Amino acid sequence: MNQSLEERIEQLKPKNAAKKMNLFGRMLVDNREMSLWEHDTKTLSWGVRRWRRKALKFAREHIRPLAPKADLDPHGYDPRPLLSAAARNGFQTLLLVPPLGTASILPFFRSTVLQVAVVGEEFATECGGLALLLLAHNLGMAPLLLSGSLRTIIGQMIPFYLKSYILGRPDCMAFAITEPGAGSDVEETEGGAQAKLVTTAKYVPEKKGYILNGRKCFISDGGIASQVTVYAKLENEGIESWTCFLVKKGTPGFEVGRLERKMGQRAADAAELIFDNVFVPEKNIVGRLRSGWANNRNVLNYSRPVVGAMALGHGRGAFERCLEFCRKTYLGPRRLIEYQDVQLELADMAISLWAARSMIWHSCKQFRGYQSGSAAAKVFASDTAYKVCNQAMELMGDHGYLHANGVERAWRDSRLTQIYEGTNQINRLALIEHHLSTDFS
Amino acid sequence: MEKESYTPGLCAEDLAHYRDLAVQYARKSLLPIFDGEFSDGNLSLLPEKLKAAFEAGIAATPDPSLPGHEYGIWGKAVDAQGFVPSIVLLSTIAQTCGGVAMCLHAQGVASNVLASASGRLPFAPRTVGLALQEGFCPPFWGTIHSPDIDAPARITTVAEKRHDQYIINGTKSFVYSMNDVDAYVVFALSGDEWGCFLVNSRAQGIEKKDVGVRTGLRACLVEHVTFNNVEVPLEARIDENGARDLVIRALILNWVGMSAIAVGIAHGAVAAARKYASERYQGGKQIEELPAIKMLIAGAEAFAATAEKMALSLSDDDLYSLKKLKESAAAKSTVMDLCARAVTDCLQSFGGYGYMEDYGMEKRLRDVSVLKSASGSTTYLKQLIFDLEKEAAK
Repeated sequence: MNQSLEERIEQLKPKNAAKKMNLFGRMLVDNREMSLWEHDTKTLSWGVRRWRRKALKFAREHIRPLAPKADLDPHGYDPRPLLSAAARNGFQTLLLVPPLGTASILPFFRSTVLQVAVVGEEFATECGGLALLLLAHNLGMAPLLLSGSLRTIIGQMIPFYLKSYILGRPDCMAFAITEPGAGSDVEETEGGAQAKLVTTAKYVPEKKGYILNGRKCFISDGGIASQVTVYAKLENEGIESWTCFLVKKGTPGFEVGRLERKMGQRAADAAELIFDNVFVPEKNIVGRLRSGWANNRNVLNYSRPVVGAMALGHGRGAFERCLEFCRKTYLGPRRLIEYQDVQLELADMAISLWAARSMIWHSCKQFRGYQSGSAAAKVFASDTAYKVCNQAMELMGDHGYLHANGVERAWRDSRLTQIYEGTNQINRLALIEHHLSTDFS
Repeated sequence: MEKESYTPGLCAEDLAHYRDLAVQYARKSLLPIFDGEFSDGNLSLLPEKLKAAFEAGIAATPDPSLPGHEYGIWGKAVDAQGFVPSIVLLSTIAQTCGGVAMCLHAQGVASNVLASASGRLPFAPRTVGLALQEGFCPPFWGTIHSPDIDAPARITTVAEKRHDQYIINGTKSFVYSMNDVDAYVVFALSGDEWGCFLVNSRAQGIEKKDVGVRTGLRACLVEHVTFNNVEVPLEARIDENGARDLVIRALILNWVGMSAIAVGIAHGAVAAARKYASERYQGGKQIEELPAIKMLIAGAEAFAATAEKMALSLSDDDLYSLKKLKESAAAKSTVMDLCARAVTDCLQSFGGYGYMEDYGMEKRLRDVSVLKSASGSTTYLKQLIFDLEKEAAK
């Protein structure tokens, strides 16, 4: 007992204490020194693991250096090199497997969106706006895949994918459902039934196509997308007739209107799209006529876990930058990270993020998007991310609100994830709706 | 609300006068800042708007010739009239702009410290900034008690007495003020005790560095101020036997005022959300009929009302006491949390429009989040609250 307190503490650490166990006992103790990130990565299948590592590297090399400028001056940077680099690295073609897309084959057939979600977290960790810039493309592309129409997939989706991956073209798609008078309405059933929609498609038999009129708003990537999946009701019909149309940039009458000024995720635009007698040929109908509502709802089932993953990334970005601040900042003779109250707060943040990641990955563990699971993951992850960002800002005191430290950017970015892809209130109702006859009747 | 119960020295008419004064100022001077597409208002108009605050007697100042000296925000009359007039002024102005309220508040706290100093001022500046904080946090109790020990962090700004002057060295961080102030009220270690100095902002050796792009409260300047061998005359020291009491007073006023601003921002958010909910139609009906919207706004209103009660309930008997310091720290911590929740819930009721700059909701959220983190966030205030309780029990 002549040892110092430090020596005794050292001996009592689990790793050293385990040395007193017999061989089999020691084998049952996991004392590997591994980061949280590495530990989680190892729980993934080989193919998803590969994408997670690749996305981390890409985000640090391509997104991190661009993030502060893109946030401060969203109209003053060129997004094309980033889009092109992402395309060449296969990040823009993850909704199909080789040779047509780039998703790892086996994991894709177990979970269509897990790979996108994993990539989304890594991108959003570095910058919410640039992550949205890259990932909104998948949202625009999803209606083509989920339409289930071979005509659409072969005629529209595959050519786009091949040009993207092989040529590295900086093109992207956008998804347009929201209208100025109908935001949340188009994301839930009861609202949909009462929605006052203005975007209308009128059939023109002599031209074998439709004339689109109306407006969409808050469309992510709407300003830069080369093609947009637009939902419109048929003339003199209600939302039941909603049909998805593929509209190409440059089509006469199709214009980008106002670019919104947002609190966060500023590197990606939120555009108003104006359709003034835009002619869309029949071949550009995505899936079947009047299947748009079902298609839209299913797209949301697939996209919500990805939005949750992006939110998780915002929270993780704030956490990582806050952790770095606590490592290098001294309060008196000690670094912040050495104070127990700071450690408690950091641990709480890490636990919250871990829980959110577990929920997202769990919600992705099936081939088809599951309404309640997707909605729940999105709500939990976005609320958690916002909470963690707040904790990070508070832990850094006055430094938390300085743009240079990157935490306030993550905080602003995270707030949007509680709103888009259906507000968190709408998503809660989506869970109830899904299990109304089984659990909540 | 019956505010008379908190203000024994004031009648209802007095309070109505203060509120009316702030409403008029906000309406006539501040609203025009928000004409046009500026997320934080057209800040180039700010100097003339702040000038109007001095003319109206809203902004306090050490200069006795100006009307705000006595009855402006944290003016000399605080000792006679208490917190409530300043809380009313700040929260009413913050309903329109939290940043301008913060400007006036920072000016007021620094002026009040000067007004309560025992010594005679070597000169009477019109605008002042308070330089107390170092590093990323205001002092903890141990440091307030003894600025020269690491409890947990000693004060590194030092005022050394040499012959007929003091030489000040060190850096103060996150100094909130109006633009281009005339002087700083600087707290520094002098010997083994706190000293408080009035320093001309144009004195040789002072370097100011803007902290850069910030989340919110952008109408208010925030700087790091470095003092490199700044020479000040002996009479620039405004305390007589140590400035610990002034440190406590400054912290109390700062936290109470920031709480008042947060309350104002929350009330502004609630009013805006109610208005939007009554005007916005979706699916053929007003969104205020939706239970989700009702829950969000009603919850926010409850948070804002509770926060206001808490801020107003702070009695103002002794601005140098540890009890008051603890109360104000607890109020800052709790009020910020309540107000931030109120604002974020109100923003949520706007849906996507709340996140855009057009309706001013995102500005409110940014402003209140800065207030939460600034000058002592909850994590660090908890330490202080605990230590003060322990100290009071001794």
